[in-house]
Amino acid sequence: MNIDLFATTIALLTFFGISAIMALSLNLEYGVAGIPNFGQALFVSIGAYTAGWTYTRLLPLLAGEAVIDPCGSTLGQALQLRSTIMKTMPTVGLTNFVITLLIAALIGGLVGYLASYPALRLKQEWYLGLVLLVGSEIVRIVVRGYEPIICGNNGLSAIAQPFHWLRDSTLSSLLFAGLVLTVAGLVYLYCERLVRSPYGRLLKAVRENDAVATSLGKDVARIRGQIMFIGSALAGVAGVFFVVNSGYASANDYVVALTLDVWVMIVLGGLGNNRGALLGALLITILDRLTAITAIRMNMLGFQWEFNYVRYILFGVILLLMLRYRPQGLLPEPTQTTRAHEMLGAEGVAK
Amino acid sequence: MSTTLLIDSLIRSLQAGSLYALMAVGLTLTLTVIKLPNFAHAELITVGAYTALLVSLGISAKPLIVLGLAFGVAAIVALLCHRVVYRPLAQQKPSTYTMILASFATGLIIRYILFLLAERFALFDLRIGVPQAIWLQNDWVTLTNIFFWVVPTSIALVIVLSLILNYTALGRDMRALADNLTLARIIGIPVDRVHDLTWLLVGGLAGVAGALWGIYTFVEPLVGWLAILSVFAATVLGGMTSFSGTILGAYLVGFSENVIMQVLNHYTGLDFSFKPAIPFIIIIFVLLIRPQGLKNN
Repeated sequence: MNIDLFATTIALLTFFGISAIMALSLNLEYGVAGIPNFGQALFVSIGAYTAGWTYTRLLPLLAGEAVIDPCGSTLGQALQLRSTIMKTMPTVGLTNFVITLLIAALIGGLVGYLASYPALRLKQEWYLGLVLLVGSEIVRIVVRGYEPIICGNNGLSAIAQPFHWLRDSTLSSLLFAGLVLTVAGLVYLYCERLVRSPYGRLLKAVRENDAVATSLGKDVARIRGQIMFIGSALAGVAGVFFVVNSGYASANDYVVALTLDVWVMIVLGGLGNNRGALLGALLITILDRLTAITAIRMNMLGFQWEFNYVRYILFGVILLLMLRYRPQGLLPEPTQTTRAHEMLGAEGVAK
Repeated sequence: MSTTLLIDSLIRSLQAGSLYALMAVGLTLTLTVIKLPNFAHAELITVGAYTALLVSLGISAKPLIVLGLAFGVAAIVALLCHRVVYRPLAQQKPSTYTMILASFATGLIIRYILFLLAERFALFDLRIGVPQAIWLQNDWVTLTNIFFWVVPTSIALVIVLSLILNYTALGRDMRALADNLTLARIIGIPVDRVHDLTWLLVGGLAGVAGALWGIYTFVEPLVGWLAILSVFAATVLGGMTSFSGTILGAYLVGFSENVIMQVLNHYTGLDFSFKPAIPFIIIIFVLLIRPQGLKNN
């Protein structure tokens, strides 16, 4: 078997960019603000469902065509329509994609804000993790069973990426990878600024001791709501990229295992450190690809064991080893000093 | 709605409820004595189910041997998880989230080792080889020997556990640990030994529950994982601490998954694919509105 190294690298970079956005989002929520989001798959899935909706309802309207029911007897027609539009009308496709990103971020953010509401009322802190985990499973079961969103259990295919109109498929995937990495870079810069700002220090104060933060007059509930809004909006954006990259929207992709993958990334990279989230996303993406390629090779060699399962065992072992021997992660959270602190420190040295 | 359908779903409620009760008392025990929300409890159940399957295929299909070995193997796996993963980690005084993540990771590892083995040796969707026989049949109801195995065994084991908790020295020590760990240490309770014994008991009960579940339905590597959130729902209904509440909660979950689902399907046309959402909705509602569960306080 020959592996096309160039195509593999592009696919890897695309996956890395998407995972990086998910990891930065969870790092902001848990690593920085201390909110145990065990429902990350839900917020990512919102991006996918939004794309499912816009590609079947909004896209035809933008192209001046009638909307066709994408699930029933007109399934084939609707599929044909959206692929033709994505192939022949670049501006319509791109406009639709940008609108999808905006809607996904907005809905993701709102759902995240709502999900932070129970945090105020729960007796023990870890109950919030359970509520988010269970909430993400409820949404998945409902979307799977309720046809109008993404045709229930069948899912929606032909959710093409926005550069699908280019004849050269290598060029289009290269451009898409570039777009994903640019967005991931912007998200990283945004998260860095946020964490380094006074607001970022406030988030860490809430994480370390919310009672102290409250006693200093900070509205902890509001802060948690805000950070869940931002984090989930980012996760929604990641979800849009995730679904147009695979081209297929299915509720069965957004299971607890996806949430756990993102957790492994941030624990491996380093909680509270944005660079750590990037490193974790990169390492986990590489491991994911490597195990997938190894599995195919093993199968071709007639190996009797299904190597795809080894991936999960490996991720579990990584998580346990990190928690036990290096809980701060590969890149620990940097100590942060303010300018005033530095000046005082310098004075101290001078004296 | 026909009476037969209603009676049938009531019987299924009773079976599922009894099994959930057996699974959930172990989870409540872990939550109160060990203070760990153990998501890997799911995999102890699966280990029990697979042990029972292998024993019934290879050694003997006598129910007592099948259940006994399922108890033993799952108990040992639980003790290993404790010694290898949870105890060393707990010594670092981590946050609850770290412990939850560790339990997820442990569960993941066990689950996919089982997947590897099941794929290699073609052990998917198999039934535990206890011969089936119809014990009671009339116009309204058909009961097989499976029902007479699952329900009384579960109830008997739950009763044995409550006797242990209330009337033995070990039970007294466990309750002391649940109330106040530091105090228990001060008055000289051998904490490590009690923890070990608790894990053996928790693992064993989960293993038997898995074996019975395998007799009642099928064995596959996701058996425990698919049941675990229903089991959490039962525990949440019990306020995460009360045993009687947990048992009542387990039957309520079983009832709502079967009878209420059947009724909703009949009158509103709600599809059966929504069934797994029922325990989840219970969890969210109880945690938000009545976090103490069914208890009055």
